[in-house]
Amino acid sequence: MIHLRGPRLSRRTLLASAAGASIALPWLEAFEPRRASAQTAAPKRFVVMFSPDGLLPAWTPSGTETDFTLSTILSPLQPYQDDIVVVRGLYQEGGGGDGHQNGIGGMLTGTTLNSGPFGGTQAPPAGWASGPSVDQRIADVIGNDTKLRSLELGVQVGAADNWGRMIYRASDQPLPPEDDPAAVYSRVFADLHTDPAVLAAQRARQQSILDTVGGEYTRVAAGLGSADRQRLDAHLDAVRDLETRLTKAGPIGGAACADPTVHAVSKDDNDSYPDVGGLQIDMLAMALACDITRVASLQWSRSVSQTRFTWLGITDGHHDLSHLSDDDATAVDKLTRINQWYMTQLAALIGKLKSMPEGDGTVLDNTIILYANELAKGNTHSRVDAGYVLAGQGGGALETGRFLRLDPTQQIAHNGLLVSLLNAMGVPDTQFGKADWSNGPLSGLI
Amino acid sequence: MVDANVRPLRSGDRIAGRSALLLVACGGLAACAGSSGKGAPQEGPAADAPAPICAAPDGTLGTAPLRRLTGFEYGRTLADLTGADPSVASELVPDEESFGFDDQADTYSISTLHASKYFDVATSAATTLVADTARLSAFAGCDPTADAACVEPFVRAFGRRAYRRSLTDDEVAAMVALDQVTASPGPADGVSAVVAAMLQSPQVLYRPEPSAPNAAFGPALATRLSYLITASTPDDTLLDAAEGGALDTTPGLLAQADRLLASPRAAEAFSHFMFEWWDLEGLDDLQKDTALYRTWDSSVPGELELETQAFLTGAWTATPSLDVILGAPYTFLDWKLINYYGVAGADAPNGFVQIALDPTRAAGMLTQGSFLALHAKADQTSPTLRGKFVRELFCDPPPPPPPTIVVTPPAVDPRLSTRQRFAQHTADPTCAGCHQLMDPIGFLFEHYDAIGRWRDVDGGQPVDSTGYIVGTDVDGNLDGVPALAQALLQSDEVRTCVATQWFRYAFGHDATSDADTCTVSALASELAATNGDLKRVIRATVEQQLFQSQRPEEAAP
Repeated sequence: MIHLRGPRLSRRTLLASAAGASIALPWLEAFEPRRASAQTAAPKRFVVMFSPDGLLPAWTPSGTETDFTLSTILSPLQPYQDDIVVVRGLYQEGGGGDGHQNGIGGMLTGTTLNSGPFGGTQAPPAGWASGPSVDQRIADVIGNDTKLRSLELGVQVGAADNWGRMIYRASDQPLPPEDDPAAVYSRVFADLHTDPAVLAAQRARQQSILDTVGGEYTRVAAGLGSADRQRLDAHLDAVRDLETRLTKAGPIGGAACADPTVHAVSKDDNDSYPDVGGLQIDMLAMALACDITRVASLQWSRSVSQTRFTWLGITDGHHDLSHLSDDDATAVDKLTRINQWYMTQLAALIGKLKSMPEGDGTVLDNTIILYANELAKGNTHSRVDAGYVLAGQGGGALETGRFLRLDPTQQIAHNGLLVSLLNAMGVPDTQFGKADWSNGPLSGLI
Repeated sequence: MVDANVRPLRSGDRIAGRSALLLVACGGLAACAGSSGKGAPQEGPAADAPAPICAAPDGTLGTAPLRRLTGFEYGRTLADLTGADPSVASELVPDEESFGFDDQADTYSISTLHASKYFDVATSAATTLVADTARLSAFAGCDPTADAACVEPFVRAFGRRAYRRSLTDDEVAAMVALDQVTASPGPADGVSAVVAAMLQSPQVLYRPEPSAPNAAFGPALATRLSYLITASTPDDTLLDAAEGGALDTTPGLLAQADRLLASPRAAEAFSHFMFEWWDLEGLDDLQKDTALYRTWDSSVPGELELETQAFLTGAWTATPSLDVILGAPYTFLDWKLINYYGVAGADAPNGFVQIALDPTRAAGMLTQGSFLALHAKADQTSPTLRGKFVRELFCDPPPPPPPTIVVTPPAVDPRLSTRQRFAQHTADPTCAGCHQLMDPIGFLFEHYDAIGRWRDVDGGQPVDSTGYIVGTDVDGNLDGVPALAQALLQSDEVRTCVATQWFRYAFGHDATSDADTCTVSALASELAATNGDLKRVIRATVEQQLFQSQRPEEAAP
């Protein structure tokens, strides 16, 4: 068994690395042969991939921690078995609204939904999550020096409501995933093919405009009551973030950085789902390789997804299928193939990052990918023994090639996993999400 | 409890929250003007009768939430201000929806992505305006890209339209300063930057209102009125009226309301409300099983959308009443849809025209392809979806299915009718409780197939379009959609529900306080008194205290 794993870093080193990232250095230079300097030069990255509507009980591998066999659903990950950690036995916490709403809302925040306007199934209406998602807490530390603080991508994510949001900047501040590849390309990569002098002039102009716009928000907010002022203050923060990021180094790029190619695609057509997803994976990977961002996520559809997997010969809506009985062999077969397909996409993302050289290793070595689903089991909305897959070593923080087996009957809150991920990324928090559910990191993971 | 009552308005009454209130005590809502008892016959339309008004004491009106322009409103606003195509706003992050409406103030979120999109869209609109010298020069009577002395007058003139009020000197100075630092390589760049910045200002994107008790409120009322009726920014005439004090009296406000109601822009805004209320916005992506429905192709959803839009425009021009919306024995078709539906003896070579239909079959929007195809599956009709929609017209939606049951509709079997295949819903007691509220109403639509065409045979058997309504104020056995429409038109519950939906859209929040529900009652009374004329309801909205009052969250510090 081979573990591609960098040296473990002390927390002190990690924090120093995050805070003192060498923005003065052109990255290409920073990425030059640096056998001894990997600890300080290569940025850590964190990525989330979500797929909806629950897994099946048969998702879990068999075997021991270091000698395990992947299930049919996870089998696409087999080429990367040494680069992953499969975690079973956690209880995915959440609350407020219905099971899908608080499933996707609690998945990365480890907390409940606020009350709000979105009426769910047999539950009082609920609003947005009441705290930040784990990736955004990580971005607080590793996302300060890049053009984008974080990059939220999606594939046919549907309406703007709490069934379709998993990333939160803070309580009541969902970050919408962008699901139009053409728009993503122009927003994220336009700089790569713009003449540097023109780019500098553009940025100066944008900065002047945004500065003036910010002044307008400050002026108007001052005359409003406190709740309304909060709304405008949040808008002002967004304007200021846009402005601040103009001064960041931007896409200078590592060894694998290249301008991605994007072809025209009908972004909302059901049958374009794999095509759109493929483009988003390419751009997500390239945004990391070019150091445009260090925190990213990919949201496939949304909770209660009704994607029809026609390319697998499945014409039923996914959510409809997910509610059929465990005894329905045809449905179980279809759901197995659907989830297997999602794992193929995860494998593609892992493979992309692993194919991108960085220093002595690859981008994957310095990244952790978290795969999660809003439910464990679709037909009961259970979140007992929810499925999590981690991939990449996070700059040596995570030992991979493992199957971490926790006891599902203990219903250990998934907040521990979120805390461990924070720690692996260099955030020394001991709690995350709702205090009742959070009791330090998960033992045995990092 | 609060004294919140409906009372008739005397001509010329001023119902502003800032002024002393005249309260006419009523025994209760049911006894108040215009409100009819259950099942009572509707009163005839009375063109000059005063609209019922909800009056509530100062301090009980609640606060008006800060509203942000929806993508629809922002696109129309940019079009009015700069000549850009309204579709420029389609690049924005989609609006949150609640109760089916895109303008609910408590659902909005904001992120860097939002700000980035506003920047791009505003910049694009600014470029459009600066390229149009005639339009640009019309604001201040001079060209700010050719004459540096024109920049400040342009900022004041364009700013007044964009901010919907006159700018303060500080605001002007900030924009002139921006022009100076961005006017490179040429002066047009500075003007373009100024326009882009203004279009992203909270004065444009949001609808802040003055909170000081003695502040001039006319411009805020102009903004409320303009977005209520035209879903866009006030025009010069309205701003002039506001700044001249003409909106400070109800008659002055109504004069401007009537002017706006007569404009084609009001028809577009009305159509947008109707599409949101009827949840017709999923048409774009609608797909059908083309092996079963060979006349269906990717052009059909757009055609069906145009049909309903043409119908609504026609209704608005005549009388947009519930009688027409739910019961019209006609629709608007072009030659393609005449062929699609197979309407005998009709012709429309030059676009959409009004086509008379068989009154025993047709019932307004309920029998249009847009509604029927959306409320159906890809390969079969769905009595459940259609029945559920009708229940939503009563504001009484059945609960969604419990999470643990199978929700897949029965498979199509060519030997069985839809009614036979859906029999399980009424045979199985775990389903029947809710499905008896929906399916028997949905069966009334069975003459219309999954793509909205008439059929006489289903599953090899003659269509049976009988059904029934239970749990409402118009319960009974019925046959076919026109009979359903007549039942709906007799229902007080439907009128109250329509008033509730309109209230949510008009005020940007749910009706929760006593003053809110009292206002809904007033609007429902107006519906009852006018044969359900929605244009009259919009006008009556303008007369409500809730609409006219300054309702700040709190006084600014």
